[in-house]
Amino acid sequence: MYSGERKSILYVLGLYLSSTILLIATFFTSYYYYEQEQFIHSEKEILKKYTLEVSDKLSALSESSSERLQYPRFEDFNSAIYDIDKNLIFSTIEDINTKNVKQGFYTIDADSYLASPITPYYLGAAYIVIQKKSKDVDILNNLIYIAIITVLITVITSFFLVNIVLKPIRENIKLLDNFIKDTTHELNTPITAILANVETIDSSNCDEKTLRKLERIKIASASISNLYQDLIYLLLNHKTSLQNVDLNLSQIVTQRVKYFTNMANMKKIEFILDIKEGVHFFADRQKMERLIDNILSNAIKYTNKSTKITITLKETYLSIEDEGKGMSKNELDKIFTRYLRFDKTQGGFGIGYSIIKSIIDDYAIKIDIESKPNKGTKVTLTW
Amino acid sequence: MVKKTALFILFCTLLNAWEFDKNCLVCHGEDFKFHIIMNKYTLKYSSEQRIKEAIFEYLKEPDINKSILPPEYIKKFGLKQKSNLDDEKLKKMIDIYYKRFNQQSKIY
Ligand code: HEC
Repeated sequence: MYSGERKSILYVLGLYLSSTILLIATFFTSYYYYEQEQFIHSEKEILKKYTLEVSDKLSALSESSSERLQYPRFEDFNSAIYDIDKNLIFSTIEDINTKNVKQGFYTIDADSYLASPITPYYLGAAYIVIQKKSKDVDILNNLIYIAIITVLITVITSFFLVNIVLKPIRENIKLLDNFIKDTTHELNTPITAILANVETIDSSNCDEKTLRKLERIKIASASISNLYQDLIYLLLNHKTSLQNVDLNLSQIVTQRVKYFTNMANMKKIEFILDIKEGVHFFADRQKMERLIDNILSNAIKYTNKSTKITITLKETYLSIEDEGKGMSKNELDKIFTRYLRFDKTQGGFGIGYSIIKSIIDDYAIKIDIESKPNKGTKVTLTW
Repeated sequence: MVKKTALFILFCTLLNAWEFDKNCLVCHGEDFKFHIIMNKYTLKYSSEQRIKEAIFEYLKEPDINKSILPPEYIKKFGLKQKSNLDDEKLKKMIDIYYKRFNQQSKIY
């Protein structure tokens, strides 16, 4: 998994899932309401039919002249009648409201009710209430099962989808990685050859012009060598054999500054050193060199011509301050992202800061970057 | 004392019943139609209160347009006389009429 892949997978998944779930939810709610409507409609139809049955019976009964009138009773449903002032006249429904009648269709627990007005008032009945057991349709339960299944299917398909989308990207990145690895290894021999040979050229035989050219070749080779070291460091994923020893940091800093002097001279940059003697630090030498090299080379790279770079080493901190272009807040935030290049006009792979980050994390060194556009950048390492 | 009260109440009921006989049943008799009149009132007015009010109003001021009986019937037998009973008594009579003839109490 390449850096940021997890994040983008989660992002895409979240987007895809939330939108599909939203869609399903809307679909299901409308379906639910539709079914509910349907249910009410069919219940109402049945209850209406029952109402007619009751009112027919009441009509016949009201013309009877017998002393006792038997209220119509049915097996499938119960009923009640109210007079015009909404007083209960008679009911076969248990615990019915005797003082009022709620009109229209409604359900209580598992019973459906329909209260409808009738005329004329057979036996004084102005309203007939019908009660029956609701048809047993558990819309919600069924719906929940279906919803769970659909969501599950969407989740699974979305995983496949993400994989399909990411496959070519992954392959490309792998290809790139391999390419860089191969070329890096191939670089080593020629660089070493160049450096070794340039060093051994007898400068006394050369005129001024050739000497300057030679100097430039040296600097260029040193830059390539630097880059090579960085790439190796990253490619081996910091798995370089670690040897934490007690380092004389003062010596190392002085030495690294000297190493970069040629490069600095090219841009007429002056190093101002304030290095306390005998500062020690327990770490791997190679890593510390990478760390200092990267900060220094960044300072040189991004600073303007004919300026100063101030390097201060004290017992608990190392600071390197340039008078370069500086960075905006936005750039500062993105600073530790690998492959990010702040300034498109300058070379460099932007891998420098990611190396810095990985090393300071290893040794719990605190980094502090103060930067103002067009004023310069001050990088302080504190331990 | 209880006995006395009970007796008094019995006497009152009897008196009322006797008065209903005297005031209404003289004309309406044990007439089958007195049932039908009540049924028709029930059909039209529904609740006890409204039935009683309607009858009261009719008896106070009989009117062929207000009657629930078919007009042919009224034309044949003539409109009834205005009741000459005082309101209170008339109401009592109507109460007894409702009590004896209403349909709702017959439902079981
Ligand atoms: C003098 C005879 C007479 C007496 C007494 C009498 N009625 Fe009537 N009643 C009639 C006649 C006749 C009708 C039918 C014509 C009509 O409806 O006006 C009638 C009709 C009615 C009706 C039907 C009204 C309608 O809407 O048409 C009611 C109710 C009624 N009587 C109640 C009573 C009551 C209660 C009493 C006792 C307080 C009573 N009557 C006493 C003669 C009488």
